[in-house]
Amino acid sequence: MQQKPLSRRTMLKGLGGAAIGLPLLEEMLGSTAFAGRQEIPVRAFNVFFGLGIPAPLQTEGFKGVLEPLEPLSRKLLIMRNIDQVRCDEKGINAHFDGASGAFTAEAPNGSARSGGPSIDQVIRRGHYPRGLPPGMVPTLIGGTFFRRSRVSRFVHSYNPDGSVAATIQEKPRDLFARVFGAINAEKDSDARRLHLKRSVLDSVVGQYRYYTGENSPLGAASRARVADHLDRIREYEQRAYKMKTTDPRAPELPERSKLKHGGEADPGGEGIDITLEELTTEWRLMADLYALAIQCDRTRFGSLTFLAAGERIRLKGDYRYAGRKIYQFDDAAQHNRSGSGGCSHEWWHQFDPKKKNEQLRAHAHMKMREVAYFLQKIDGEDSREANGRTILENSLITISTESGDGRHSNVKRELSGVFHAISSAGGRFKTGEIMDVGAEGIDLYNTLLGGMKVPGRLGPPKREARPVDRIRA
Amino acid sequence: MKPRLLLFLLSTAFYMLPAALSSTAAAEPEGERVKTSLQVLYDFSSTSGPIIKDRSGAGKPVNLVIGGANSVRRSEGSLEVHRKTLIQSGKEASRLIESIRRSGAVSIEAWIRPSNTTLDGPARIITLSENSSNRNFTLGQERDRYVLRLRTTKTSANGQPSLDSGNRTLSPVLTHVIYTRARGGLARIYINGKKNVEKNIGGNPSNWNGAYRLALGDELSGGRPWLGTYYLVAIYNRDLSATEVERNFRAGPAAEASPELVARQKITAGERLFDRHIAPLLSRHCLECHDSSTRKGKLDLSAKVPALAGGKNGEVIIPGQATESSLWKLVESDKMPKKRAALSKEEKKRLREWIDSGATWAGDEIDPLSHVRDKRAGGTWLQRLTVSEYIETVRDSLGVDVAKEAREILPRDQRADGFSNTAYNLTVDLKHVESYARLARIIVEKMDVLKFSARFSKKQRLIDDDMRELIAKMGRWVLRGPLEEREVVSYRGISTTVASAGGDFRECVELMIEAMLQSPRFIYRVENQRGDGQLWPTGDYELASRLSYILWGSSPDEELLRAAGAGKLADREFLSAQVRRMLGDPRARRQSARFIDEWLDLGRLENMAPSRKLFPGWTRELARDMRRETLAFFDDVVWQQNRPFWDLLNAQVTFATPPLAKHYGLVPLGKGLERYDLSAVPGRGGLLTQGSLLSIGGDEASMVTRGLFILTELLRGSVKDPPPGTDTTPVPARPGLTKRAISEKRVADASCGGCHSKFEPLAFGLEKYDGLGSRHEKDEHGNPLREDGSIPVPGTKEPLHYKSATELMNLLAGNERVRETLIWKLAQFALGRPLFGSDRRLVGGIYATARKNGGTYQDLMAAIILSDLVTSTRTEAQ
Repeated sequence: MQQKPLSRRTMLKGLGGAAIGLPLLEEMLGSTAFAGRQEIPVRAFNVFFGLGIPAPLQTEGFKGVLEPLEPLSRKLLIMRNIDQVRCDEKGINAHFDGASGAFTAEAPNGSARSGGPSIDQVIRRGHYPRGLPPGMVPTLIGGTFFRRSRVSRFVHSYNPDGSVAATIQEKPRDLFARVFGAINAEKDSDARRLHLKRSVLDSVVGQYRYYTGENSPLGAASRARVADHLDRIREYEQRAYKMKTTDPRAPELPERSKLKHGGEADPGGEGIDITLEELTTEWRLMADLYALAIQCDRTRFGSLTFLAAGERIRLKGDYRYAGRKIYQFDDAAQHNRSGSGGCSHEWWHQFDPKKKNEQLRAHAHMKMREVAYFLQKIDGEDSREANGRTILENSLITISTESGDGRHSNVKRELSGVFHAISSAGGRFKTGEIMDVGAEGIDLYNTLLGGMKVPGRLGPPKREARPVDRIRA
Repeated sequence: MKPRLLLFLLSTAFYMLPAALSSTAAAEPEGERVKTSLQVLYDFSSTSGPIIKDRSGAGKPVNLVIGGANSVRRSEGSLEVHRKTLIQSGKEASRLIESIRRSGAVSIEAWIRPSNTTLDGPARIITLSENSSNRNFTLGQERDRYVLRLRTTKTSANGQPSLDSGNRTLSPVLTHVIYTRARGGLARIYINGKKNVEKNIGGNPSNWNGAYRLALGDELSGGRPWLGTYYLVAIYNRDLSATEVERNFRAGPAAEASPELVARQKITAGERLFDRHIAPLLSRHCLECHDSSTRKGKLDLSAKVPALAGGKNGEVIIPGQATESSLWKLVESDKMPKKRAALSKEEKKRLREWIDSGATWAGDEIDPLSHVRDKRAGGTWLQRLTVSEYIETVRDSLGVDVAKEAREILPRDQRADGFSNTAYNLTVDLKHVESYARLARIIVEKMDVLKFSARFSKKQRLIDDDMRELIAKMGRWVLRGPLEEREVVSYRGISTTVASAGGDFRECVELMIEAMLQSPRFIYRVENQRGDGQLWPTGDYELASRLSYILWGSSPDEELLRAAGAGKLADREFLSAQVRRMLGDPRARRQSARFIDEWLDLGRLENMAPSRKLFPGWTRELARDMRRETLAFFDDVVWQQNRPFWDLLNAQVTFATPPLAKHYGLVPLGKGLERYDLSAVPGRGGLLTQGSLLSIGGDEASMVTRGLFILTELLRGSVKDPPPGTDTTPVPARPGLTKRAISEKRVADASCGGCHSKFEPLAFGLEKYDGLGSRHEKDEHGNPLREDGSIPVPGTKEPLHYKSATELMNLLAGNERVRETLIWKLAQFALGRPLFGSDRRLVGGIYATARKNGGTYQDLMAAIILSDLVTSTRTEAQ
């Protein structure tokens, strides 16, 4: 059973929000427009989904895999024919360099750095040169993903030097703690260190848990001893890493994630088995929390990832949309393969414009449904601001992915036609169209930066700019 | 229960007896199937139901479920698959897989009748696999050939290259086929008892996947059906010899046990009853008054012959007739034991059962100390690194000295059963967890992590393949054996988290090492303890760790790990050479010093505070000198002189500083700790004449404490605590009444003497030494002191007499029981657990081997390591 959708109002009032231990406090809204503020803050968020939409399918408009975006079509500009070929790094397929190029338009710089800043961070620095208001999370990066061999597969906010702009929160509980916990922006380095220490402890807990479990090689007495040790570790964890909330009346942490995270989420690139329900339940909780963080004005910049670039999952489950059954996912069985060969990823490798591509279409359609889920969270009445527009309309939300064709045989084809969509950023950009842009990603991004009135530009300074003025309102 | 099944279960029980554990199949009766190391057995004896039962009796059964009832025809003793179906285990065959992974050897046996010679694929006769390309093994049919695919570290995940029986070796008739593969790699196929083909299949099965199921009739993922009739399927975790293969062939396709075997196991069941229940019962309730030294009513129940002979009123045990046995009558009516708690209902039931079944004895005499201990102490407990082991392991594996910090931060290990490395007592509290986390941070801060990581991989990049390579190699070293995939994945998770938080390679490695240092595989000596309840060979890397922690108190070096990886430690000669090499390392010397320090609890000297009035000359330095004396003496006897280990009790040499020499009445030599020849010094020579030991009796030089030390630590004897309410206040000596005279009164007392006679006389020879070990001819009241006496040795009827302390030391050093007890102590420290009655036979073997070789510490340690105590692991049945 899927998680019941959580609107901001129900979350705030504690109705139907069992998943994260509500209620939240009205006071947490602080200085947002909801409390009567007239000024609309500048915000920019990158939304990434893995594996992309092959360019030929994008031409089908809302009749094809883009169908779930149709309810938001008036508030989005969907752009086709954007190439990221300049992001190609020799010898690497688009999963990595294409993902690194998303929102940066640069090839990666090493395995854990991008080649340049992401647009949200350029806008952040342009509009808040002296930093964001105290207590705000400067950059919030979250996501539901599993493949993690290289950082840019899942992180989509980068500093000017190419380093990650913040630690990614991959569990709803951690994102919640990051947003509503007591550790604030001034102590960001502490928060980072704490996060890393927790990852060490998570690994240690995982090891001990294994030795108490069914597959443990230990006898009964030894298992009991290890279980005892594990209890002590949990006690230590409680004492050492207990989250102090911003307010004594603040809600409790959500329950621990039931999905795989950390190393076990990406077992040697072989992929994991997961049901559609498991996937979307956690993603939607993550999306709800991320949206809530924006609504509460706890953050104004960052990125959110729904499945990593080159994601490897073997999905199972009944996929329905708008009351009709779209597809029955069962990747491993349909591929008749185990391990990485049984993952949905392979549908992208097998894409053939002359064929039906039934499985790929179903997966891409599902991804659009989930991206739309998040967009709708910041487009409801709960998200309407003083100017009468919603957060979606007032913010620059940039949606993209890693490639325009999943076949690795042709780099140019792979990195061309990469799907992009944006919101209007307070009326700065056109919406309500599907536009054949025919531009490089770098020009698109620099046009967005120009529209947001920030001085910085991506790419080499000497490169001749080719603004994509057609997207400006 | 069907008679056939009952017979089989009984026969299986027989093979689970300790006595049979180390026996080879050659000892099994001719004409019967080989049972030793049998892991699964299907005899298809049931004719109905969807389940095919595993009748091996080896731990948790691996039962099979028939996929399609209409695809098979069943009759007693056979199952015909006439249509495509899959017969698979309900769950993963983890026990079977682990048993073979551990032993490195396997035999796969089938009595079958193939339906034709056209099946191919190969068609799956028996398979332990996941799908058509991933398997641990498969015995298959490829038209008129048998094909065996087996995964090892040198073959593919699909088990190729395979072993093939050759053309026209398979025909549609009843056939006996066995595939065997030895640990060294030699693989054979036998058909109808004759060797058909052999080939070396390299590597080992350490990479077997524990999640596979066992199946008959088809591949787990389908598509490779086999048709034909099964009569018997068996799998062993060792390679059967050609003789054993032939025996199984001659035994035919039925798995029944012979009547002779049933008779045999009847006898051994009696022995088992005695070993498990009766010996402990007699030790707890009877031997206090009826052992060889006390013999109340002239009855000695501590050994078979005197027990069956009876006491002054004749026989007390009539085998086969409990109701006619006075022992039973007195116990049943609670008249015995006198002044002690009566036996429980369960104990009485066992006693009666034992007498009625023939009063069988296992072994000659009962070793009471090994039965009175809490059995839980000897269970298979995970061993946490002691503080000392932690420090040494960090030093040897990471090159960092954290001795100071670890001793400050980590809680001290508490002594239990005489040693602080006793596994059952190595508990963990919050303080440990906090300390391990803090120390991990301290250690990485002291390390040059980039230099350290470069030992394992030069590629200092955060990309997946490079990190995985680094984790695998570094983890193998730090965690003392190869990592499983799940572990690589877990540590890789840390590095990706660090990378995604903007961290660099150095930070990744630092945090991964921190995690490794807190992981169970570092903090504990993790070993496989699950199996079928029998002894399994100790795993290669587990054995490497056992060796290093026993001999060095630290982690294995690269040579040991390499040998473990190559499977060489299973070779006794190679193992023996490794032990010799390791004993030549300075770490072995340091570890031996830890033994003597722990055994004699020399650490207590640091906290001694004797009466200033009685001992005005005592200083803290004197206590330290006593500790140094014992350690230097031990080093001299064991390492410098390489003398027999029991010479520790009477070697005419010691080491003393000038103050200690004066304390002993010796003329000081030099300024420091000097060696003294004691051959001309009366009453000195040997551990028991040193201040470190003589001071255990306190200011009053308690005969009780000293006697108990000799009884328990040198003679492996035991006594119960005094009854509640007993006044244990020491009676002081006075003019005309020496301590010995007071002691002799207690021994003669009817209510005290039963127990005190067993240990106080042991201390009579030490009367001339005061509470701090100075020797006197008269006590403080002017009473003359004596040093003659006799030793009541447990298990022997007549005491041993001596005239002086020197004679006492010589008697002890020459006594077989004392020598064996020294081995018990060494073995206990080596194993981290007290020894029990079931270990006695092994210790006896160790003593015999070591004595033949010279009886030095090195000989003893080699014999301990080469024994089943170390090379085997008693598993728990799953």
